[in-house]
Amino acid sequence: MLKSNSGQPAVRLHKTGSQVMQEIHACIGCNECLLACPALGEPLTIDILNRETLGGPISRPVAQFARSCYQCGACVAPCPVGLHRDAMMMWLKVRLLRAGWEE
Amino acid sequence: MIKNPLATLDRADIVIVGNGIAGLTAAVEARRLEPEKSIVIMTRQSHPTINTPALKQFAIGKVTREQLLAYPPGTERQQRIHVVDALVEGIHAQEKYIRLAGGQCFGYDSLLLATGSSPTGLSSDVPGRDFDGVLTLHRLNDYMDLRRRLNEVEEVVVIGGGSHAIETVMGMLYWGIPVHWLIRSRAFLPRMLDQTASDMVLERIRRAGAKVYTETEVLGVVGRVGAVAGVVTSQQQMIPCQLVLVCTGTAPVTTLARNCDLPMKHQQGILVDDQLRTSVRDIYAAGDVAALRDPLSGRYAPRAQWHAAVLQGRTAAAMITGAEEPEGFGVQWHATRLGDLSMLTVGNPLAKVEGALPLTQKRKGSYCRLSLVDDRLVGYLALGSEPQDSLAIKRIIDEGLSVRDITKDLLRGEFDARKYFSGKRSFAVQRMIVTGQLPTPLPPVPGIISGESRAVARIPAEARSPLPAQRVTGELYRPATGPLVRPVPNRSTPPAPVQPAPVDTGAQRQWLADQRTLIGEEPVFASKPPNGAHQEDQKEEVELVVRVPERQFIPPPTRRNPHPSRSLWHYTNKHPAVNGKGKANAEK
Repeated sequence: MLKSNSGQPAVRLHKTGSQVMQEIHACIGCNECLLACPALGEPLTIDILNRETLGGPISRPVAQFARSCYQCGACVAPCPVGLHRDAMMMWLKVRLLRAGWEE
Repeated sequence: MIKNPLATLDRADIVIVGNGIAGLTAAVEARRLEPEKSIVIMTRQSHPTINTPALKQFAIGKVTREQLLAYPPGTERQQRIHVVDALVEGIHAQEKYIRLAGGQCFGYDSLLLATGSSPTGLSSDVPGRDFDGVLTLHRLNDYMDLRRRLNEVEEVVVIGGGSHAIETVMGMLYWGIPVHWLIRSRAFLPRMLDQTASDMVLERIRRAGAKVYTETEVLGVVGRVGAVAGVVTSQQQMIPCQLVLVCTGTAPVTTLARNCDLPMKHQQGILVDDQLRTSVRDIYAAGDVAALRDPLSGRYAPRAQWHAAVLQGRTAAAMITGAEEPEGFGVQWHATRLGDLSMLTVGNPLAKVEGALPLTQKRKGSYCRLSLVDDRLVGYLALGSEPQDSLAIKRIIDEGLSVRDITKDLLRGEFDARKYFSGKRSFAVQRMIVTGQLPTPLPPVPGIISGESRAVARIPAEARSPLPAQRVTGELYRPATGPLVRPVPNRSTPPAPVQPAPVDTGAQRQWLADQRTLIGEEPVFASKPPNGAHQEDQKEEVELVVRVPERQFIPPPTRRNPHPSRSLWHYTNKHPAVNGKGKANAEK
């Protein structure tokens, strides 16, 4: 993560929050991105991943997956509707970080 | 004295008919906005809401049944949404109750019709359409049936000329089954694609191994002891097969609109306005059944697509609870992937609008068509191996942005949405400096990216701005570029309304210097937001921009053997026991 002048970690994203939300709503849940993912350790369903990217508490397997995602972009090419799962994962990472700060 | 039957009636505040994605999304969203109201879903569906577009992946074994669920199991109970197994027969809109199949009645305050669509299927005059093996693909049961049969099928006939049919064809090819594809018209998707694009898609499908028969219809299905043995076409041809998959499109279920005591307008679907209201008070429609007005052509048509249904469900909830101002729907958007070819249509690429200028570019393996009016995009069509940032292009059309500078990139399919929109931002900043005027701020978008957003979802009625009138008209609208820049509120105090009056340059510079997200410096997360409502604004502001590696350093993993079970039983190369040719040579 990048460091800003004020000392707090700052994150730069390539999709805004509303764009990520829009993309999650357009997700058809076909599972192609998770099939292509080299970082996915244990099986995960796409509905839970989507739900927890949007909001609410983050469960342990999802958090683990988000930490192990290294933004390789393998999930972008197979998406039938042209969405950016890497941007959504980035949001999930941000939410994890933020949850860490609030504790 | 006659006792009033309505006094003892069972009732709920929000009644939703249909448990598809539009219905359930509306229910969940309404619960978020209105925690106290009672919500009831009436449905005849025997399974929870599923991701219907993923059914094709389910049929070919890429997705399990559990992975189909659209919401995590138990969502309905957790959100206190009552799901009732009942068939709704009619609506009494004057007394505000619905009549169920057993003769019972149920009252409502707001009613949402999300009954979806039903498949058209083979027409009733096609002989043999009842044979075992003729499947009309629409519901989960149909796909489970298909999945069970796949192992014992030698050849398949797919009927239909839409994207549903082509995705089915691709699925069968993935499973390694020879496919015959019958299309009634001359081209594929003639209303969305032009001739070049259609030829390209069909050529790709042929190369993938399917046999395509254009201008061909089914005259009858031939059976043998009750099961399908083949299909007779209008080209006097008999195609042997064991399975006939019918993908001839869907029709909205408008039974309830007909069985309403007040006249509810419906033609192809129930007519709704931009806020999903039907012509009857307190009744809304969403999903496949709702016919929306297309902003470009002005015609009413249902949008039978996943993203549209989700958006409409959310909008319907916002309208019913009155808690949020709904967003518009914008233009049509359809993206799909056919093997290694991704297809994207946004808006109306074949627009017959006056002054529309089509631009096309064909390269090896990719095709692109823009439809322009002046410098604005009204339609976009792209075929190629690289997926495009489709929602960004939809946004360009919806917001009516000028594409003068990016026309070439769009044509080449090299449009970089991130670069474009961040460029827009810096342009807006430049304009602020030159004109000395702040852009008019958008109202804060409530409820973004937050589960615990109950507190922020309310906008008091007087604070809600009226819908811009031009959104509703059929003409093109051209909003200012201002909304791309939103003033960042001061971190310590709640945001004050920004005055759009001219500001002197010194203060302007100072204001700009504070805008970390706009010029140069890193945006910073606030350590602790002052209150819940303010938090949302900051989340909106903090996001922004760049620098995540975009290229793929790691190639995607290769696929496994596409037909695992068949390979057990099939010997792919059958070597003859005696090589006749070699023997002949030896004798010589």
